[in-house]
Amino acid sequence: MTFFTVILRGLMRRPVRTGLTLVGISIGIAALVALVGVSRGFEKSWETGLTARGTDVVVSNMSTALTPKPFSDSIRDRITQLPNVSSTCALMVELMSIEDAQMMILSAREWGGFSWNNLRLLSGRMPLDADEPAVVLGQTAAEVLNKKVGDVIQIEATELSVVGIVSGGALVEDGSVILSLSLFQEITGNQGKINVIDIRVPPSTPEKDVKELCEQINRLAPEVRAVMIREHFSSSQGYRMVRAMSWGTSLLAVLVGVLGVMNTMLMTVFERTHEICILLAIGWKRGRIVRMVLYESALLGFLGGIVGVLMGAAAVKLLQNTPSIRGLLEPDLSVGLFAMSVAIAIFVGVLSGLYPAWRSSRLTPGLVLRG
Amino acid sequence: MNQISRNSAGTDAAALCIFEAIELEKEFDDGQVQALRRVSFQIATGDFVAITGPSGCGKTTLLQMLGALDRPTSGVLRYQGGSIADSPDPAAYRAREIGFIFQAFHLLPTFSALENVQIPMFETTRTRRDRRDRALALLKAVGLEKRVNHLPSMLSGGERQRVAIARSLANDPSVLLADEPTGNLDSENAEIVLDLIVKIHKEHQMTVVLVTHDMDIARRASRVLRMKDGQIVSDISPAGT
Repeated sequence: MTFFTVILRGLMRRPVRTGLTLVGISIGIAALVALVGVSRGFEKSWETGLTARGTDVVVSNMSTALTPKPFSDSIRDRITQLPNVSSTCALMVELMSIEDAQMMILSAREWGGFSWNNLRLLSGRMPLDADEPAVVLGQTAAEVLNKKVGDVIQIEATELSVVGIVSGGALVEDGSVILSLSLFQEITGNQGKINVIDIRVPPSTPEKDVKELCEQINRLAPEVRAVMIREHFSSSQGYRMVRAMSWGTSLLAVLVGVLGVMNTMLMTVFERTHEICILLAIGWKRGRIVRMVLYESALLGFLGGIVGVLMGAAAVKLLQNTPSIRGLLEPDLSVGLFAMSVAIAIFVGVLSGLYPAWRSSRLTPGLVLRG
Repeated sequence: MNQISRNSAGTDAAALCIFEAIELEKEFDDGQVQALRRVSFQIATGDFVAITGPSGCGKTTLLQMLGALDRPTSGVLRYQGGSIADSPDPAAYRAREIGFIFQAFHLLPTFSALENVQIPMFETTRTRRDRRDRALALLKAVGLEKRVNHLPSMLSGGERQRVAIARSLANDPSVLLADEPTGNLDSENAEIVLDLIVKIHKEHQMTVVLVTHDMDIARRASRVLRMKDGQIVSDISPAGT
């Protein structure tokens, strides 16, 4: 028999209560895995998309929205003149409802711009020119919309032909409906408006020069903000809000788990007052009693963490296959996130055990003889 | 190993006198209850002392003091010359110097007999195998080698008390403190348990302090302290020693 046997036996005294506490903490951790995994995946997915387009610097006005605010395309002309700008591509990126799909990424790109170059044709053809009333669909978007080459797609009140299915090397690209910028501006009545400028810098430009370029753009056009791609989302207030909300919701769920574990451990200490007094009477040090309670609660946290991670991953997989958002989610279910979640669960366990452990350490062994 | 710091004057006396109480007093409820009143005595190393008296006379309180389960309100109680109340580590004293036997056995219900005996050994440096081997040997010594994997609920009262005796010997203590060890047993099992305690006392020259209200049991001891109203009213040696 080891000390661990004593810990395990303590938890197994009340299997139903231990099980329910595990469920409580597991739900908290599952929420954390799902929400943080999805929000991180969203960020990573867009970064991969931008990288796939060969973008080094993104100019946009992210403000508090998830898609950037429109601004005048004249800003692009000013930026083009700056040193270290190799090429630019103006875009209009929107999240909108298209036919039966509640939320699709619509990516309108300047005709001839480099952002078209990463698209690999899987079937059909690319639009013939900027004015052809046609779109190409990313392969996931085609699946979600249930469209093939030759079908018609309705955007706003305009019907456009699906002329090709493409692969863009990233989920956001594959999940997009892609068309010419001028065509989209005409359809939506937003002539002269764009909301993203992708910028490429010459190969092997030092990072400090890229940063300097961003600062120059920000001085030149204060209404927009230029950032390197890896900072694109971290600088977005909207995304920061989403991230804060996902963490906030998760931590709230975890807090419920904390209270559950604390309640269980307190009950355990109350129920086992007599047993703890016996242990003290036969020579166990208070430190060992405290460790026993803390290890029990940490073990509860650990087990809850493992179950929670599995539940969270399963929930995300289910979510990914939900028709309304299929093709939009690329969750970041990394080993790092799992390890962090389990670590949080163990921390929660230990934290919840502190007060019960302190209570147990205050018990007097003489209670045993007094009966 | 002695966990009680000894004073220099007490060192020689400690060889003969294992416990020494001087003017020991214990009050409860802000002095409304006086459990012990100026109790003084000495117990020699290897002695078998029975403490008797009616309920509420202070026997159990005195046993608690001897086992560092409680502190006196005033007075001095020494173990091998060192004050028990001033011990920096009473848990270590209880773990290594004292073996407890309780009237209600106080075994841990979710642990087998073998595991119950191993519990006190967590406070020693014994390995897992050592703990198990010693627990098996102790259970064999009390005649329970065939009941090692039984939970307390599957054992009779006498068997439970024998497991408790094995547990009390786990860390090879110098003193056995027994609080009404036969109080919950029928006469047959009471006799077995009492014989076992006497045997341990004789074979290991272990100091035994046994609390009982039964004079027949007390007569098995080499010395009987009779208490009344928190005081020792008589100190006799039944065998005439």
